[in-house]
Amino acid sequence: MSNSVISVISRFLEEYTTSTSNKLKLVDAYLLYILLTGALQFLYCLLVGTFPFNSFLSGFISCVGSFILGVCLRIQINPQNKGDFLTVSPERAFADFLFAHTVLHLVVMNFIG
Amino acid sequence: MAQTRLLCLVLLALAVGAQALTPSHHLTASDVARLEARLAQPFTDLQSAYFSIVGLSKLGVTVADADEACRFLKSNLDPSNIESLFYAAESGQALAGCEIPVSNETRDLLLAAVSEDSSVAQIYQAVGTLNSLGLPLASQEVVSALSARITKEDNVLGIIYALHTAARLSQQAELGGILEEIEDLAARLDDLGGLFLQFEEGLEATALFVSAAYGLSDHMDMEPPLKEDQVIQLVNSIFSKKSWDSLAEAFSVASAAAALSSNRFHVPVIVSAQGPASVSHSQPTLQLQVTDVLCQPLVSANVVVESASDVASKRVILSQTPFTFYESNGVFELNFMDSQPASGYYQFAIAVTGDSRLIANHVELKVKVSTEVAITNMDLSVVDKDQSIGTKTTRVDHPSKAKNSFMADSHQNFAMSFQLVDVNTGVELTPHQVFVRLHNQKTGQEVVFVAEPDTKNVYKFELDTAERKSEFDSMSGTYALYLMIGDATLQNPILWNVADVVLKFLDEEAPSAVQAKTLYVPKPEIKHLFREPEKRPPNVVSTTFTALVLSPFLLLLILWFKLGANIANLSLSPSTVLFHVGHAAMLGLMYVYWTHLNMFQTLKYLAIVGSLTFLAGNRMLAQKAVKRIAAEQSSRLAKYRSLR
Repeated sequence: MSNSVISVISRFLEEYTTSTSNKLKLVDAYLLYILLTGALQFLYCLLVGTFPFNSFLSGFISCVGSFILGVCLRIQINPQNKGDFLTVSPERAFADFLFAHTVLHLVVMNFIG
Repeated sequence: MAQTRLLCLVLLALAVGAQALTPSHHLTASDVARLEARLAQPFTDLQSAYFSIVGLSKLGVTVADADEACRFLKSNLDPSNIESLFYAAESGQALAGCEIPVSNETRDLLLAAVSEDSSVAQIYQAVGTLNSLGLPLASQEVVSALSARITKEDNVLGIIYALHTAARLSQQAELGGILEEIEDLAARLDDLGGLFLQFEEGLEATALFVSAAYGLSDHMDMEPPLKEDQVIQLVNSIFSKKSWDSLAEAFSVASAAAALSSNRFHVPVIVSAQGPASVSHSQPTLQLQVTDVLCQPLVSANVVVESASDVASKRVILSQTPFTFYESNGVFELNFMDSQPASGYYQFAIAVTGDSRLIANHVELKVKVSTEVAITNMDLSVVDKDQSIGTKTTRVDHPSKAKNSFMADSHQNFAMSFQLVDVNTGVELTPHQVFVRLHNQKTGQEVVFVAEPDTKNVYKFELDTAERKSEFDSMSGTYALYLMIGDATLQNPILWNVADVVLKFLDEEAPSAVQAKTLYVPKPEIKHLFREPEKRPPNVVSTTFTALVLSPFLLLLILWFKLGANIANLSLSPSTVLFHVGHAAMLGLMYVYWTHLNMFQTLKYLAIVGSLTFLAGNRMLAQKAVKRIAAEQSSRLAKYRSLR
């Protein structure tokens, strides 16, 4: 059982490193960074308690929001998905990404206290 | 049968008549003296001389030094000023034998003042002066001038002056129109709570109105259109103030008082008891002061008690009994004790007759009859609960004390019985307060019980030692027994130490001194608990985690570097530069928002920077798109060519 899991994972990693373009790997690195930041914030909250709760929420939601927007960007600039996004060019996707982030950061800063 | 019916009718009439108001505010003798003193102050100018001299003459008092006053008037007179002439002339007439010299010019001046162009006050003063100096004047001209002025000057004081003026004119003149003004003016009075009637202009205007209205009514011999209740309300308003700010106010009150005490139509009667309205055997007469508003006794009046009835039982004691008038002290007296009333309160309905002008002449008065109480047949005994041992009764006479003390423990009851009788009549009494007080001399405890009368009006008190032990806190010992008798109608309240009682209780606690309740001792201080700050983790933990949370950024940079991210393709076109600068500015704005700004300011800056960034970014991305499409096209072209 574990054998197959390991083989699946190693196969997946191999395919990933070979077939994904650099651009997408950049975005993936960004997503990993966001993920780790969010996870560490959550761990802190679990360990030490939720005071001040608004700061924790704002930080955590910032991570979650950024991750989601990053995923959206990745989907939209992936050339393999071009058929699904005929009206959205990669530049447009990036512009949307920036705009959404502005709004997200505005809200997060408001709530961080 | 017929008599009771008559009585009912009389009582009904009384009840209806009793609905009429009686004055609640009036001048007492000391108030009248104060008014006289206020008016008798030395003159400062002609106006104050007028108020003093004429005011005092209305009260029936002459000025101290008449010659000096006359000289003052003559020396301060200004013959070219109508007001000055008015004051001098009126005061001169009030002082006997004071002649104010008058010249032809003065007379012409006064006659010229009587016209439609002068104010009502001026017309009044001119007419008054002419009248006082005995000079002729044309009444009809005055009437027409007044009527014309009244329509223009509609204020209260103006109309009052018009009324005063009309009272000085000949009776042949047509004064009917001005007489009607009294009714209109009366309609302008404000009713305050059904008790007071006054002008909003104040006390002076109300008082002057009363004197003017009655002056004119007397002059024309026509009853003024004021109802009895209204007159009494006016009396209340005018005489409620007992000290007067200005001489003018004092003068107006004196004029009103004089008018109300001696006019031809309405004379309000003031009935009040001399001292407290209370009679007893030592003071058997009820004394009444029946006066007019100036506190002068109504000598010729008949004062009759229409009925005197007991408040509690409504039994009529007296009916149609007259008071006798004593010249020596100006009071009406009635010996009420002759009718041998029982002690208590009596409602007197008093009627003052003899003059058809009298109003408010039915008065209700509550009279108290007090008496002295005596305690008889005071029997004390200790009764065994199971009644096996016979009772031993000790009789004690007031005010002595029982020689032996009484012992009562839980098997026995202590009993007391006595009667309260009226000293003079021997009638049994039931006063309001009949208390039995037991006082422990050692501990200072006291317990008070109420003694109740039975059907035969014999007071009985029983102390069940076992039942009452909670009130005594089970404290055994010697208690002094006091009997307290009191009532509003008793002249001799009694506090009598009857006997000493030794009480023995079961379950006696250790005798602890009874402490007076510590009600007024400072209480323990309450310390305010500020809101505890939330528990926070130690600084080390927080710092560690801050570092941890920032560490993935390093990881990102490393990964990007490894992946070969570079800025080689960064074209330094203005739009690119502007975009990056603008974006950095927006991130900076976020930080500043966190530290300094509020949402509105941030949105304002964000709008500016954001729009710049957007425009620059749009241009930049468009350029990139063009480049990308060109690159794609060329690669496709190359692929196509290679395929061929």
